[in-house]
Amino acid sequence: MARIEVNHLKYRYPHTENLALDGVSFQIEPGEFIGIIGKNGSGKSTLCQAFTGLIPNFYRGAYGGNVKIGEINVRDVEVDELCQKVGIVFQNPFNQITGSKLTVYDEIAFGLENLGLSRKEMIRRIDDALEQLDITRFRDRNPFDLSGGQMQRMAIASIIAMNPEIIILDEPTSQLDPQGSEEVFKAVQRLSQKGITIIMVEHKMEKIAAYSDRVMLLDEGKMIDFDTPQKIFSRDDLLEHGVLPPAFTRIGRGLDRKNAATGEYPVTLKEAKEALEGMAV
Amino acid sequence: MKSISLYEEKNSTLNHLDSGCKMLYMVAAILVPALIGNKWANVAVIILSVFLLAISKVLRKTVPVLSVSGIVILTIVIIQGMFRAGNTTVVLQLGPAAFYKEGLLYSLGIALNVFNILLAICVLIFTTKPSDMVENFIEKGFSPRLGYVFISIFQIIPQMMETMNTITDAQRSRGMETEGSLLVRIKAFLPLISPVVMSSLVDTKERAIALEVRGFNAKTKKTFLNERKVTTTDKIINLLLIAAVLASVAWRVKLWLG
Ligand SMILES: Nc1ncnc2c1ncn2[C@@H]1O[C@H](COP(=O)(O)OP(=O)(O)O)[C@@H](O)[C@H]1O
Ligand SMILES: [Mg+2]
Repeated sequence: MARIEVNHLKYRYPHTENLALDGVSFQIEPGEFIGIIGKNGSGKSTLCQAFTGLIPNFYRGAYGGNVKIGEINVRDVEVDELCQKVGIVFQNPFNQITGSKLTVYDEIAFGLENLGLSRKEMIRRIDDALEQLDITRFRDRNPFDLSGGQMQRMAIASIIAMNPEIIILDEPTSQLDPQGSEEVFKAVQRLSQKGITIIMVEHKMEKIAAYSDRVMLLDEGKMIDFDTPQKIFSRDDLLEHGVLPPAFTRIGRGLDRKNAATGEYPVTLKEAKEALEGMAV
Repeated sequence: MKSISLYEEKNSTLNHLDSGCKMLYMVAAILVPALIGNKWANVAVIILSVFLLAISKVLRKTVPVLSVSGIVILTIVIIQGMFRAGNTTVVLQLGPAAFYKEGLLYSLGIALNVFNILLAICVLIFTTKPSDMVENFIEKGFSPRLGYVFISIFQIIPQMMETMNTITDAQRSRGMETEGSLLVRIKAFLPLISPVVMSSLVDTKERAIALEVRGFNAKTKKTFLNERKVTTTDKIINLLLIAAVLASVAWRVKLWLG
């Protein structure tokens, strides 16, 4: 399994003045669940696309430093070579539908056809991906006739079928209703439990706090911090970076209840309960 | 979300026929009568196409196509029937309007040709899954990019229309007049163009990236989930169609030489 290593990554989009990423360095271990947070325009999407080689190979622009997936320097390989190692799912499920397939089953096959897999292997992988995302019952539906949550799960299944070791999700639920979001979060959690490295950009801080092993805070293209959710959400300057911590953390902070052992505020319901239990008379 | 699909799975004999076979039928149905150059050949092929459409349960889908072209043909018949140069024999007198035999026969020829071509195309389009056709071309070395554009356009145009509707609704809820006289409509339409174009451009870019990360531009030779099965029946039909084309070429050559 591949480790991700980012060294002094700097990037500027073509025809722009400011750096979208400004000297970012970190490592991610195989199987980790990473949450990326930060206000709009802080560089989250840019970083996501840097993992897949879309930056700089698709967008061009000025690039410095490097991103390594295992031994591979993403800059040196084609996007379609890397897509078998690193998959990416975007915000808008609609725009991820190829539009050239009439059923969910065929839609998932699209990427596999491009890789030139045998028919037998395709069927095995598609059946497996449908199962994992819990959409087997929609296999013969037209991709455009699915609900947002189902569509997004189909998009994830299409990526999963390509067998990546790392999956990037860039605000996968921001255009979905609460039920659709929940379906997607559940599916992502299952993938994480199977050992796939997950990197997710998300505005629902409660979800980030509950699922992430570590959380990365970005602001103006710089990495402000990269640590456990408890450490990140206990920071005093979060609001200055445009991030509102989870409700549980705000309650803990408001009541000044920290975890006695670590000195950190609670980030999940469970932790909040524990922190507050001492208060009951 | 509705896609404009001309094809419908009806589990008919023609649905199961190889797409190559039906493409060949379309070509032969257009070429053979043209080569033979006889109205009866046209009539025979039209009857054959209608029969094929009927057994495929898609005859009704030809009604809109035929009625639109029917109106155009009718105009041609009227104009040619009344005013074609060389009109001499009156066959029908409606008040002041006289219809001539020569013009009517000439326009009948046009009508038969047009209907024949349309029906032949309908046989192919209404019974063949677009992706089967395109995959067939790609296997023969046709560009997958062009193939993709061809298939996806049928799904993506309705999506753009949807965007248009959403934006119209948004503008209307902000108090913009979108109904009424032509001028009002044009005024309402202009400010719509830029958001629609912009959002389509963004969508197109996002879709291009989504295709990219699914290996669309991979240099590996593509494979296809849906196996293309060319059965003995397909092969026999192909041979018969080719024989028919060759025979009519021979006939034409004989006419020229003789
Ligand atoms: N395609 C692009 N071309 C030019 N500038 C861009 C493009 N995409 C993003 N940017 C700029 O790069 C910066 C980071 O954007 P982005 O990574 O999309 O932020 P986030 O996902 O955190 O909202 C912003 O200043 C944004 O305006
Ligand atoms: Mg973003």
